[in-house]
Amino acid sequence: MTEKTNPKPEETKIGVYVCYCGGNISDVVDVEKVAEKMREHPNVTIARTDMSMCSDAGQSIVENDIKELGLTRVVIGACAPSLHEHTFRGTVARGGLNPYYFHHVGLREQDSWVHSNNPGGATEKAVRLMYAGIAKANLLKPLDMIKLKAERHALVIGGGVAGLRAAYDIAGRGINVTLIEKTPFLGGRMAQLETVFPTGNNAREDLHSLINEVRTHPLITIHTLSELVNIRGYIGNYDVQIRSQSRGVSGDNAEAALAACTQEVPDDFNYGLTKRKVVYRAYEGCFPSTPAVDWEHYDGKPIEIDGQKVIFENKKKTFDLRIGAIVIATGFQPYEPPRGDYGYDELPEVVTLPQFIRYMGLRDGNVGELTWKGHPVRDIAAIHCVGSRHLAGVHEPQPDGILNNYCSRVCCTATLHQVNELLDEYPNINVYDFYEDIRTYGLEHESYYTEASKNMVRFLRFHGDQRPEVAAAPEGDTHPVLVKGKDYLTNGLEIEVPVDLVILAVGMVPRPVDDLVDMMKIPKGDDRFLLEVHPKLRPVETPVPGIVLAGTAQSPMNIQESCNAASAAAAKVSVLLASGQVELDPFVAKVDLDKCTGTGDCIEVCEYEDAIVLETMTVEGNEVQRAVVTPANCSGCGNCVSACPHHAIDVQGWEVAHYEAMVDAITMEVEL
Amino acid sequence: MDENKLKADALVVGGGIAGMQSALDLADQGYQVILVEKEPSIGGKMIMLSKVFPTLDCASCITTPKMSAVANNKNIRILSYSEIQSVQKNGSGFIANVLKKPRFVVEETCTGCRLCEYACPVDIPNPFDLNIGAIRAVRVPFSTAVPQIAVLDMDNCILCGKCARACPVDSIDFLQTEKEVEIEVDTLIIATGFETTPIDAKKEYGNGKLHNVIDGLIMERLLAPTGPYARVIRPGDGKEPESIAYVQCAGSRDETLGVPYCSRICCMYAIKQAMLIAGSLPMADITIYYMDIRTFGKGYEQFYQNAQAMGIEFVKGKVAKISEDENQNPVVRVELIDENSQIIERTHDMIVLSVGMSPKYNPSQVYGVNVDEFGFVKSPTPNLSSTKTNQPGIFATGASTGPMDIVDSINSASAAASSAASYLESVRNGK
Ligand SMILES: Cc1cc2nc3c(=O)[nH]c(=O)nc-3n(C[C@H](O)[C@H](O)[C@H](O)COP(=O)(O)OP(=O)(O)OC[C@H]3O[C@@H](n4cnc5c(N)ncnc54)[C@H](O)[C@@H]3O)c2cc1C
Ligand SMILES: Cc1cc2nc3c(=O)[nH]c(=O)nc-3n(C[C@H](O)[C@H](O)[C@H](O)COP(=O)(O)OP(=O)(O)OC[C@H]3O[C@@H](n4cnc5c(N)ncnc54)[C@H](O)[C@@H]3O)c2cc1C
Ligand code: SF4
Ligand code: SF4
Ligand code: SF4
Ligand code: SF4
Repeated sequence: MTEKTNPKPEETKIGVYVCYCGGNISDVVDVEKVAEKMREHPNVTIARTDMSMCSDAGQSIVENDIKELGLTRVVIGACAPSLHEHTFRGTVARGGLNPYYFHHVGLREQDSWVHSNNPGGATEKAVRLMYAGIAKANLLKPLDMIKLKAERHALVIGGGVAGLRAAYDIAGRGINVTLIEKTPFLGGRMAQLETVFPTGNNAREDLHSLINEVRTHPLITIHTLSELVNIRGYIGNYDVQIRSQSRGVSGDNAEAALAACTQEVPDDFNYGLTKRKVVYRAYEGCFPSTPAVDWEHYDGKPIEIDGQKVIFENKKKTFDLRIGAIVIATGFQPYEPPRGDYGYDELPEVVTLPQFIRYMGLRDGNVGELTWKGHPVRDIAAIHCVGSRHLAGVHEPQPDGILNNYCSRVCCTATLHQVNELLDEYPNINVYDFYEDIRTYGLEHESYYTEASKNMVRFLRFHGDQRPEVAAAPEGDTHPVLVKGKDYLTNGLEIEVPVDLVILAVGMVPRPVDDLVDMMKIPKGDDRFLLEVHPKLRPVETPVPGIVLAGTAQSPMNIQESCNAASAAAAKVSVLLASGQVELDPFVAKVDLDKCTGTGDCIEVCEYEDAIVLETMTVEGNEVQRAVVTPANCSGCGNCVSACPHHAIDVQGWEVAHYEAMVDAITMEVEL
Repeated sequence: MDENKLKADALVVGGGIAGMQSALDLADQGYQVILVEKEPSIGGKMIMLSKVFPTLDCASCITTPKMSAVANNKNIRILSYSEIQSVQKNGSGFIANVLKKPRFVVEETCTGCRLCEYACPVDIPNPFDLNIGAIRAVRVPFSTAVPQIAVLDMDNCILCGKCARACPVDSIDFLQTEKEVEIEVDTLIIATGFETTPIDAKKEYGNGKLHNVIDGLIMERLLAPTGPYARVIRPGDGKEPESIAYVQCAGSRDETLGVPYCSRICCMYAIKQAMLIAGSLPMADITIYYMDIRTFGKGYEQFYQNAQAMGIEFVKGKVAKISEDENQNPVVRVELIDENSQIIERTHDMIVLSVGMSPKYNPSQVYGVNVDEFGFVKSPTPNLSSTKTNQPGIFATGASTGPMDIVDSINSASAAASSAASYLESVRNGK
């Protein structure tokens, strides 16, 4: 920009505002004192305080001051810039200034919160930080947002109920969607359920009503057996590469191949309770209905179809797409206890809840008596919180070093729902429910708890650090298994319950998505689930613009919550892509072509693909190499700035000169 | 445009966090939105809260910028202090008749300078602080209100005229009358939120008459920096409490009160408040009497574990009765389940009833939407599309559809916006 619009530092008229942050700052920092000090600064035209600068009233003050006092720069000391820098840029713009004539000083995270035991020091630090902000503000240049064309096409990764919901909603907004699912069939975990709380509906019927809407939508393209293998680019313009495997069989020979196949493997749809062929359908009525070859397990041997020996071939293909935004809906997997925990994988009478649901679903109608491995089931124990709510110092971390200290949210209601269904059918079975807290939190969930009580379920309460143990009963006992523990509903009484079957209410862990995490540079939380930017301000967005989260990839959720999160993700994608254009902050590297000699040091250190490259250009008749930045690819990290031997690069809005001025101001003598 | 007839793409009813988020998500997609709020300011319950779990951000740090974003969004128009009288189908869309209540202040000219408020001699209980603390008969509803426009409470005004004389822009209008506005839209979102279950419902808990027994929402105001005292004191005598107890499920999970469901938020807010009190009154003993601690959300279980580590005492026990001693100290009669279910009496300085949520408004008459036995809007597809109602084109979100915390309300609100946008597109494409 020209000098004319950019007043010399000594001529700036700065408005300075110090926020109480509803007490967050003012409880520690003497906010009035800070404002008073600011008034001594020669460039400061006005310094004010407010209970919350970000409120409409607070913002109006700034707007009015800009207009009435002719301010040329604004400095606000408040919460973290990540929270409200954007808010205040809007304020400054409405006041009629370039939005980048504003500097946000973090007085909360960087001051009051970390120095709560030293108010005097915190106040002095606030003054120094504010002076530094003023010093920077003096040097600010007007900037424009980077405007980019955005591809009106979204990629949804994962074809569970969350991915399906997101795809349908985005398409509903008139935006193209490509949905990729890693396995051969859509539906994810919901397909493995039978009836679902709180509706009592059949899970697959509900699921297929959504699948039908998705597959018949003209704007949605579905690719099963497909994964993302590469991604480049930026919001609005991601170049993604997708690799698809073939189904191995096609319409003509599919049924015959299915019939002829003899190789069997544990059926993962039934969590290993049964076997299935390597040419398979996940379940009757699945979509797509064409069977597929299980490439992971297929032994490569020929199968005889109609007298012909056929060897299935996995014809992989990759294809490229240009995508505006991405929804990650990769879902969860049930926690699998290590061998021996609660007798799992050692005692045949111990199953997980998902296995139990499959077992009940597999039965051929009502068989009068419930049996397990040929024996009648008279007594059942359900144990809650298996793999969840672990305590530091009590429970072992998982093999990856992470402690499953979270609640999995779904398992309490899911367990009681199953137990009630079971007792409806087999009222004579006794159920012992070992729990710590019953978390039937939803509007219609508590009734599952009251119904279970009415159904005479015996509730036994353990303490989180003293969980029940499961052991084989001595030879000749009436029951094969004993569950031992302390019941704190009866004063910690030691109890031993003989049962025929133990159901472990296992929690949720995210599916392994480290490849996506690495490719997309999105964060995971301490619990391994994908992490949102802020649970209230931006609950489904990742820090990478244009990449959003849906469903249980983010945290445990039931179907309703997964679908709401998915629809919310769809709303964010629609906001981004509806106009076909996106805007980005201009804090990117800028090369001063007069100083650049084309050494290429910058390119060496840049970690972002295609952010900065050497281009050939003509300068005074000579062909030379010069560094050129593609703003959309640049993260503004500043690596190149430090590498350039000629100081030819600066990050806009955060120039080296800005830092120098700030450091000078911070180290100035300050008298309070 | 004729101000008695408005037209927009979407009408959002209720300006709490859910309604604001729905409005923003639609407006940011380019749709024209009208937001109707019954109270003089938008913000809902959230603007009254102190800090919010699980991040412990101050509530206004999250809410006020949202309110401001709504106010400054060029695609959103706020009709505050207004209520929908009736809704008629109009092809695939709707015509809503809105009653704009008189503020006795001219909205177009009032600058929110508050000179009227300073001049008014009448103090009345402040509804924003749940009637603890006082406010003037004419006032800007609260410091961060949106819109920043005064409202005059005619029921309490003595017509002295001081405000009118003080107002520099002649905005006080004692003769203002209500106004009807007709709004034509294609889709509607109900976001009318919740109210807390009444504190006086339970005889065993003193019917709301005990001096130092308050509910969770009042505690929010006591803890809020903008609250009436900006510190936690006993309402009975203004003393700083040394022993504070929470009684969980006070108003929920109780068939006798007609609220059998769990209100979903009260475990977390009680733990949050306990932590905040522990911060401001480090010497105070804090006890939480509970049946089940329901900290199910992302990061919530760790929040609970932190509270235990801070020394907050969690006692599994059913509080059968609350009475008070001669010093107005509340006394709980509680069955200690972890200690052989013995029944004991314990005296505290102050008790907070963790009241639950019930719907604020029953929209079945005006909108023809189905509600459940409690009055929460009922979706025909609660799992796959929880914001749909039985009326095509009408959606519902947030706590009007069931107890919900802020995180879940925001997702629900964005989901409602998504469904409404799909509906708008399908109507336009003549599907
Ligand atoms: C035992 C049990 C009982 C339950 N009962 C109920 C109930 O009654 N009611 C209820 O509301 N909820 C219930 N739930 C919860 C419900 O199952 C989940 O909320 C829901 O299935 C989550 O859906 P999702 O789409 O997020 O994840 P998922 O169903 O896991 O779907 C994720 C999809 O993404 C695919 N995928 C993963 N990684 C990739 C990749 N890299 N590329 C492409 N695709 C990928 C997967 O193959 C899968 O198809 C229950 C859960 C359990 C464990
Ligand atoms: C004591 C307490 C503490 C809490 N603490 C937390 C916390 O720390 N963290 C957290 O996540 N959640 C917390 N919550 C929950 C939180 O308040 C709710 O999740 C949230 O406010 C729900 O937002 P909403 O928009 O759905 O409803 P509301 O906030 O109730 O908003 C509804 C809006 O609609 C308006 N309205 C009602 N009827 C009509 C009508 N007929 N016409 C027009 N407008 C109408 C109302 O005036 C209101 O503005 C707490 C709740 C309580 C009671
Ligand atoms: S939902 Fe229930 S069983 Fe599952 S982890 Fe939470 S408390 Fe435990
Ligand atoms: S006229 Fe009414 S509102 Fe105005 S100052 Fe007098 S009492 Fe207050
Ligand atoms: S009515 Fe008048 S005095 Fe009152 S706030 Fe509005 S402009 Fe100020
Ligand atoms: S959230 Fe906690 S206090 Fe509230 S009703 Fe549920 S269990 Fe009771």
